[in-house]
Amino acid sequence: MPPVISVRDLTKTYHVGEHSVHALRSISLDIEPGEFVAVIGPSGSGKSTLMHILGCLDQPTSGQYFLSGKDVSHLSDDEVSLVRNQQIGFVFQGFNLLTRTSALENVELPLLYGAASISAAERKSRAMAALTAVGLESRFDHHTNQLSGGQQQRVAIARALLNNPSILLADEPTGNLDSKTSIEVMEIFQSLQRERGITIVLITHETEVAQYGSRIITFKDGNIVSDTANDNRRHAAAESAELAAVTEGAA
Amino acid sequence: MAVPTSWLIALRSLRRNKLQTGLTMLGMTIGVATVLTMISLGSGAQLAIQDQVKAAGMNMLIVTAGNYQARKEKPPDDAIEMGAVRTPESFGRPRLVLSAFHPEDDPFAVHDHPTARSRLGDSEAGLGAAATLTMADSDAIRNLPGVQYVCGGVHENIHVVNGDTRWFTRVHGDDVSLPNIRRSWTFLHGGFFSAREERKNDQVVVLGSVAATKLFGTDNPVGKTITLWKQPFKVVGVVSSSSWMIAPSEGDDQFDAVYIPVTTMQSLLNLSKLNDITITTKSTGDVTRVGNIVTSLLRNRHHIGPDAPDDFTVASQAAKALSSGGLRPDVATAVTGNVNGLEKVTLDQLGRTLDKSSRTMSALLASIATVSLIVGGIGIMNIMMLSVTERTREIGIRRAVGARAHEVLMQFILESVILSVAGGLLGIVIGVVAAIFIARSVQWSTSISPLSIILSFGISAAIGIFFGYYPAREASRVAPLASLRYE
Repeated sequence: MPPVISVRDLTKTYHVGEHSVHALRSISLDIEPGEFVAVIGPSGSGKSTLMHILGCLDQPTSGQYFLSGKDVSHLSDDEVSLVRNQQIGFVFQGFNLLTRTSALENVELPLLYGAASISAAERKSRAMAALTAVGLESRFDHHTNQLSGGQQQRVAIARALLNNPSILLADEPTGNLDSKTSIEVMEIFQSLQRERGITIVLITHETEVAQYGSRIITFKDGNIVSDTANDNRRHAAAESAELAAVTEGAA
Repeated sequence: MAVPTSWLIALRSLRRNKLQTGLTMLGMTIGVATVLTMISLGSGAQLAIQDQVKAAGMNMLIVTAGNYQARKEKPPDDAIEMGAVRTPESFGRPRLVLSAFHPEDDPFAVHDHPTARSRLGDSEAGLGAAATLTMADSDAIRNLPGVQYVCGGVHENIHVVNGDTRWFTRVHGDDVSLPNIRRSWTFLHGGFFSAREERKNDQVVVLGSVAATKLFGTDNPVGKTITLWKQPFKVVGVVSSSSWMIAPSEGDDQFDAVYIPVTTMQSLLNLSKLNDITITTKSTGDVTRVGNIVTSLLRNRHHIGPDAPDDFTVASQAAKALSSGGLRPDVATAVTGNVNGLEKVTLDQLGRTLDKSSRTMSALLASIATVSLIVGGIGIMNIMMLSVTERTREIGIRRAVGARAHEVLMQFILESVILSVAGGLLGIVIGVVAAIFIARSVQWSTSISPLSIILSFGISAAIGIFFGYYPAREASRVAPLASLRYE
């Protein structure tokens, strides 16, 4: 099976005034289907830039990016939009949900765009299925401001999964969450990888969060400094069961 | 799919910002309502003036029996001329004889001019006196296209008697459609006689306001009985003028007069002919054309050969109105104060001047309204511009999940169009209500045409597109990435 993501000599240079900032310096890497890759590095290391390029939100200065075997680094804006719609699911630190909009309508959003026209009934049933997958089916009509941070992130995950994307890109998904909800979110990620074989790329600056991944890539100054399989993987399901036991014991 | 997704996206987005949506729509609503109200006031004034001009008879044609032109032919053999010198065969000496007595000829009791063909041929008869027009002619004219109302009339001078009071005035035998033709008429008491009364030759009479005052003073004469030709007539109504252009005065033909059914008059006086036929056209500009059609119809009906002159005269009222002084100069002066020699101005010219001044007024009102529309439009643009900045993040989210640039453009344009059109529709409703309210409360005439509604609707949609395009283009240019950094 070919790699889902294949990056060759990827560079990205920003020009700020007269200075040139080299966010990425000739990166090459492959990510196989079903991997849970954690990308870690301090701020300014280029990991976010990598994620923007992997998510087709930005284009590289040079180099090539093959998504499912197709070069997507030099497509037109409309083509790239379609790629984002069909093949990529985003989960952001700030959730990025539409305010004053119900959870269901937020999840439906990707279906309103894209080439295929989908009936209102099908749109709703698919969105409900995605909400059920993250355990929020009972809150489908709640507006985003009526949901807790963890719930909002789960809505965002449901939205990201709606079009069955090739990859799930998560940019600091637990950055705004407490440790308990962070574990819940990671539990969802790990079960998605385990049960549905979804490829996940997780960007984080916290080593503890990166430990949930099956492979850890470390960035520094726009270069990959290490790329290793994670032998010491954390398991969110076990941790949350443990937490529940502790809470029960305390009670 | 019932609703296209682009509409769904725009509608959902508007629903998210209810207050903003409401306020922006309000601007548009007020703009459109103002435009519509102003236009309705302007065109109402214009229509009112046209109405007054029509009331004065601009769309009226009068067919009068006879023709000024003399015919070079002998009178019919059976014509009996009054005071003719005859040579009776038995005496052999010329002798002045009076014709046999005829009820219409009684100089003391009834009226003063002959009408019947047996006493006077068509040939030399002057206007109105010739016996050439019939009720059948009037019915034929009624069926012509472009003709609105037709009324055949017989006119005489008469003494009207109420007890001891006598008043010498005009009597008009007319058709029930006359009040429709005399648009300036208003009934002070009662109404005009009915078609049924006309059919049954009832002896009913409608008094002109001047005649009514002369005979009854300030009393209400309806239901009382007056005497014409020594016959009792029941008064059914009193008519006066509602137009400032025509004021009732002594000696005029309309209000110093009494009206009876033409059938009653014909049967009482033993007449079968009409003096004239009054015609109104549906449109003022149609008078000449209809006049020509009436002429050829009547020539045909009267079997007049191509070389022979008409035995009737078709005239439009516009020319007549000036000479009969149907205009109230003081009011006219007030309106067209800068026109010199107003008494020489024809009704036609006056109508045109009034029309022009009301059109100036409309233009003024429309320009004020346009300003408020533009303000409404700029309000929409302002809100849309603001929302592009404010909603950068939202746009970014949409781009991230796959919205293409033109889909974002469409969303913003649709939002703007929905805002302005919904605001516009509401404005149309409010404008119509306001126009009706103004018409009821201040008694100004207003007129709302379907055209002005379509125009307002079109303008609001156009404003939505025009003022929505620039913000929408800005929105579509938001980079998918920029939005994610925007916190």
